[in-house]
Amino acid sequence: MLSDTIQKTLASLNLEKVAAGDYGKTGYHVEAAAQPDQMPAVAQTMLDLGCFLESLTALDLKESFTLVYHFANFDQLCRTVVHASLAKTAQAPTISHIYAGADWYEREVYDLFGIRFAGHPDLKRILLPEDADFHPLLKDFGATQENA
Amino acid sequence: MNFLVQTLGTAGATMVVGLIGVMALVAVNALFLIWMERKVSAHMQLRPGPMEVGWHGAIQTIADALKLLGKELITPEEVDRPIFWLAPIVIFLPVLLSFLVIPFSATWIIRDMNVGIVLILAFSTLAVLSILMAGWSSNNKYAVLGAIRSVAQNVAYEIPLLITVMSVILMVGSFKLTDIVAAQERLWFVLVQPVAFILYIICATAETNRAPFDLPEAESELVAGFHTEYSGMRFALFFLAEYTNMFICSALAAVLFLGGWHGPFLPGVVWFLIKVYAIIFLMMWFRWTFPRTRFDQLITFAWKILIPLAFANLLITALVLKLR
Amino acid sequence: MLERGLEEKTFWLNLGPQHPSTHGVLRVLLEMDGEYIVKAEPVIGYGHRGHEHMAENRNYHQFLPNMGRVDYLHALAFNQCYCMAVEKLMGIKVPERAEYIRVITAEMNRLTSHFLWVGAYLMDLGAFTPFLYCFDDRENILDLLDRLTGSRLTYCFYRFGGVPVDLDDEFIAGTRAFIQRLRRRWVDYDNLVTKNIIFIKRTKDVGVITKEQCVQYGLTGPMVRGSGIPYDIRKSEPYSAYPEFDFEIPIGENGDVFDRYIVRMREMEQSLRIIEQALNRLPEGPIMAEKVPKRLKPAAGEVYQAVETARGEFGCYIVSQGDIKPYRIKLRVPSFANLSILPEASVDNLVADVVAILGSMDVVVPEIDR
Repeated sequence: MLSDTIQKTLASLNLEKVAAGDYGKTGYHVEAAAQPDQMPAVAQTMLDLGCFLESLTALDLKESFTLVYHFANFDQLCRTVVHASLAKTAQAPTISHIYAGADWYEREVYDLFGIRFAGHPDLKRILLPEDADFHPLLKDFGATQENA
Repeated sequence: MNFLVQTLGTAGATMVVGLIGVMALVAVNALFLIWMERKVSAHMQLRPGPMEVGWHGAIQTIADALKLLGKELITPEEVDRPIFWLAPIVIFLPVLLSFLVIPFSATWIIRDMNVGIVLILAFSTLAVLSILMAGWSSNNKYAVLGAIRSVAQNVAYEIPLLITVMSVILMVGSFKLTDIVAAQERLWFVLVQPVAFILYIICATAETNRAPFDLPEAESELVAGFHTEYSGMRFALFFLAEYTNMFICSALAAVLFLGGWHGPFLPGVVWFLIKVYAIIFLMMWFRWTFPRTRFDQLITFAWKILIPLAFANLLITALVLKLR
Repeated sequence: MLERGLEEKTFWLNLGPQHPSTHGVLRVLLEMDGEYIVKAEPVIGYGHRGHEHMAENRNYHQFLPNMGRVDYLHALAFNQCYCMAVEKLMGIKVPERAEYIRVITAEMNRLTSHFLWVGAYLMDLGAFTPFLYCFDDRENILDLLDRLTGSRLTYCFYRFGGVPVDLDDEFIAGTRAFIQRLRRRWVDYDNLVTKNIIFIKRTKDVGVITKEQCVQYGLTGPMVRGSGIPYDIRKSEPYSAYPEFDFEIPIGENGDVFDRYIVRMREMEQSLRIIEQALNRLPEGPIMAEKVPKRLKPAAGEVYQAVETARGEFGCYIVSQGDIKPYRIKLRVPSFANLSILPEASVDNLVADVVAILGSMDVVVPEIDR
């Protein structure tokens, strides 16, 4: 079973947490938590196991960021999520040299959150104009509507 | 008429009257063809086309022409002015002059030159020059790209066109258009030279920049190709030249392959026009059926397939004539 | 002898952001050497409206209409994904009849999306007539969906727990009639397009995408199915009522533009099969789950739900912190990854090929920009 293989291989990388996910509730087969510096190794492992990077995004948890990496596989259904907690002013290492698709995802995270990725070939804004000076998905970026 | 004959001589008078008639014909032809194109394309696309202005949109073109006349003639700043202004004129004049030698019927021909065919083919080459002028002077990357494509395309397709025409000339033995028509009294050349006919139609479609060979104007890729920067009446002139060129090429097809003005019951002129418009309809049919070829495939098709075929056709024609 | 060194320079050409092809507001910077591409760089973001930001400032119900505007061509699938994600978060079970209705309408929407793609793509290639034929067929479907949902394009039809309006007999009869009509039309499309030599020459062996590239870039949808990878969420991670239906996943061999075209055409045929089977087996029952709260307040947690849209895999990632507004919604749109391979796929191709490749990706720019 691919999820077992992934769990075993990820466990050997000394991550903070590697566990089976509750698929019915969350949609994940494997959940993991890692340090941002371990992400290139994680990405390389997932690539070697034949998984593709489905999505790369971030959460602004006010005191810190969490980078969220989603992986999936074409041949066998196995969704893996890796959360990486990042300090507010820290930089995360890029994985664009492992997954070419991560290039644009990291640019988007930089654009919307201001998180920089060390080693990225061309970290510039992708959705907002290049000279914009704000990061809109940060929690302290003013909401325009209070409508609940 | 007598006054004209006295001042200019018969030939001169014929030319003046003929040229006036030709200009009228060109205008009416363009009006009609634009309407025909819109109706043909519409019906092929399961829709009615222009229906509002006049009976089934018959005077739609006039309405469009009036609109175009009222448009501002924008000349972009960075263009090369003399060439920019000359280009539409240069594309239009040779086409107009080609009408001099077209035999509309046994007697309706402005000037029956000994080198009739050569004149038409020579003038049609001038169109390439004007496209290059238009594209270059526009000082616009898209226009230049369109112009370059057009030059390569026109040059490539001239050659099989000329060779195909040569096959017919070989059979007739004269460059005079009336002689060619006269030689088809019994049998139209399309039945004797079907390959040449097909080749001619393909080359004519390419020479007039019609789809599937309309790369120079490729709308989805190059905005509008070599006439991107032209607006208003100048743009209309390019359009006019394209439709008139279609008429000339189809007229040549009718003369070379379809027996010119020969036909039972109806007067020669009517038959001639029927044949010409049938070929034009064929070209329109092509446009609305086929996608566009890619540029390198277009050129490869001309050089590697059409030219050898045309040469083979010429050789076989020569052989058959020799062995007769 | 004078020797003049002629410096060969490349020049930059701008494809867009306004261009006659109906891709959306997309700009591609092309560095060209004559007619050949040296470098192609897509510039996106012209249509960024901040949907993910909007999600954080609205409650779950208020965000429903946004999903139809993200990908307006297959809006119902996006609706479905978001509804399923929230239903997963809340533990709501959707009744069977509602699932069938969702599948029928989503597949009809897939058909309209593919029809628009075929028409627009062939227009890119210079054939103007198929566009109108495709839109003629598309109108049939849009009329049916309009009767049912009230919209022709940006649907907001599903609700949390089911669907609000049931199918009536006229809808079912109309759908059956259009299926018959469409099956007769395939012959026309085959003759006009699929067997056309010019079309084949423009699309065969152009824009080949390898399986490695699919993994590298995270491509999904017809992009990977054209390259021979049979990955379709409806089969590999079945959701809604899809496990009950019998349909195939068409795949290509070479991964070129022609294969992607064939995959989409075959997918349309399979969609017709699904709709037919669903109509034949439509179960009776309620169309809404009971007791769905008017103000959803999911427990803290996160959920990821993926569906197969016309363009590929759409994933909805919702993070809730127990509030009536979501903490974060990430919309993982298929066109974002699909477009990112354009630079690599265009190098050393002609401009005309770039247009063909870009068209074959079936990119809807508003979903990339969100």
